[in-house]
Amino acid sequence: MSAAPVLELADVRKAYPGSPPVNSVAGVSLALHPGERLAVVGPSGSGKTTLMHLMAALERPTSGTVRIAGHDVGQLGDGEASGLRAHLLGVIFQQFFLLDALSAVQNVAAGLLYCAIPAHRRQEMAIETLQLVGLGHRLGHRPSQLSGGEQQRVAIARALVGRPAMMLADEPTGNLDQATGREIVALLRELTQTQRTALVVITHDQAVAAAMDRQVELRDGRVVAERRNP
Amino acid sequence: MSAPARAGTRPSRLLAADVLRTGTIGLRTRRLRALLSALGIAIGIAALVSVLGITSSSESALLAEIDQLGTNLLSVSNGQTIDGQEAELPASATAMIRRVSGVTAVAPTAQLAEARVYRTDKVPAFDTGGLAARAADTSLLGALGASIRQGAFLNRATERFPVTVLGFQAARSLGISELRQPVRVLIGGQWFAVAGILNPLPFAPEIDRSALVGFPVAARMLSYDGHPSHIYVRTDVARTARVAALLGPTADPENPGSVAVSQPSATLAARVAVVSAGTTLYLGLGIVALLVGGIGIANTMVIAVLERRTEIGLRRALGARRGHIAAQFLTESVVLSGIGGTAGLVIGAAVTAAIAKARHWGLIIPPEALWGGLAVAIITGSAAGLYPAVRAARMSPTEALRTG
Repeated sequence: MSAAPVLELADVRKAYPGSPPVNSVAGVSLALHPGERLAVVGPSGSGKTTLMHLMAALERPTSGTVRIAGHDVGQLGDGEASGLRAHLLGVIFQQFFLLDALSAVQNVAAGLLYCAIPAHRRQEMAIETLQLVGLGHRLGHRPSQLSGGEQQRVAIARALVGRPAMMLADEPTGNLDQATGREIVALLRELTQTQRTALVVITHDQAVAAAMDRQVELRDGRVVAERRNP
Repeated sequence: MSAPARAGTRPSRLLAADVLRTGTIGLRTRRLRALLSALGIAIGIAALVSVLGITSSSESALLAEIDQLGTNLLSVSNGQTIDGQEAELPASATAMIRRVSGVTAVAPTAQLAEARVYRTDKVPAFDTGGLAARAADTSLLGALGASIRQGAFLNRATERFPVTVLGFQAARSLGISELRQPVRVLIGGQWFAVAGILNPLPFAPEIDRSALVGFPVAARMLSYDGHPSHIYVRTDVARTARVAALLGPTADPENPGSVAVSQPSATLAARVAVVSAGTTLYLGLGIVALLVGGIGIANTMVIAVLERRTEIGLRRALGARRGHIAAQFLTESVVLSGIGGTAGLVIGAAVTAAIAKARHWGLIIPPEALWGGLAVAIITGSAAGLYPAVRAARMSPTEALRTG
């Protein structure tokens, strides 16, 4: 395991204004190393999604520090935080969030759009990555022409195409049937191994969590249990 | 390779070509909506371009008329008598004017107050149709730059006989449109054969409404007394103003103040000014249409931002900065108005061409109207897209993703 963690959270808190304020994340500390797979589990409303948004530099912590590849997210401007997302992170959503107007290749290539890579090179990299996730035969299809599992594979390829240091997946199997969900988890495991990409999966599915190297359980914004999977 | 070494805090970047690509996704996926939004701008720009084009073309037609007429034509008269007839000038006026340096041609005419013009002897005496009989000589055609529509003008022979040439309006009033059969009209109770009809003379309406006869026959049959009432003077172009100043004292040395000297081209110049004045009003209407078009685009863009919250959130997650999101929606708005503006230019030019053709004007669309029209369209698009773009950029990415 490499010495420098790709993600480091130190006493991270996120409160939303209100009376009383809502403490979505209330003091989380953890570290993730390159190639490591972490599951964040917990019931609905436990702060899992907010935690993922903090890890993805989409939110800034109210207090504490979030470091991605050594960079303190709280200290970065919009351009630099966006740069981290473009160059170092890949995000996968439960609802896939593919653009209907674009083909599978174009959707994957969109993952490189904000890295200033020329269009033809983006296309080549997108084709390679789609082949990697087993969709080499579906390059020109629109999302509406693909099954749920295939759509999630396109979304995974989009997160992976820039060879990120870390992928973040929010309930990646939530919209899929069990068998397809298992395939997706297996694919994520395989890809993190071959690409040496760290992975954080937010899930409430114990089977998915058990497939990761370690899992932390979140309740009311706090880590209440942490264990390494066998 | 360790993770921190992969990239520093490099800001995310969007290539210029990709700004255009992402900025047209919305237009490509919602074509009908894009078309309808662009239509508003197209109508506004078409109105602006056609107003400017039609004004320029009609002005050019008037200016061509002035050129053809020449600015060196002067008209000398002595006002009107109490019963509305042209007042007489001294009998010597024509000869005196000929002597003025700078005068190149002089054509005297005399309104024959007693001689009424009728189509037949069955027409009641009071029904004069506003037509006048006028004595003229062969020099009139050349001095006015007038031309014959049908038949022939007066000549040395016909000016001695009961022969007349009709002005354009006079011929129309008398119901005479062609001279293949011999045609006669009644002037001062005598039958005159119609020898010719003149083309319209918008700058000399008094000739337009006259039946012209020769001086000798006028003296013999229509009691012409030797006094001209309206003299047309052609001058050396460079000396028109100086000649105009001398014409009053020359024509009537005893009452120089009563002589009216006018420059017919000035009337046409005034018409040019009137056409230009109307332009402002129509331009105002065009701008209102453009404003409505701009509001249409702003409305479309505000709706697009609301509809595409998820896309905005996703793009932020993929590394888009706020500026990239703003640029995407601003580009969409500018492209939308650019398309509308271009269509407007084409429509405006086509309308101008059609009207110019129908009115027999030369087609002139000022270049300023074309590039100015496109610039106005793009400025409108930028203004319309600014608020939606800023709103999209300020949207919290996590909020946008949650609502997806």
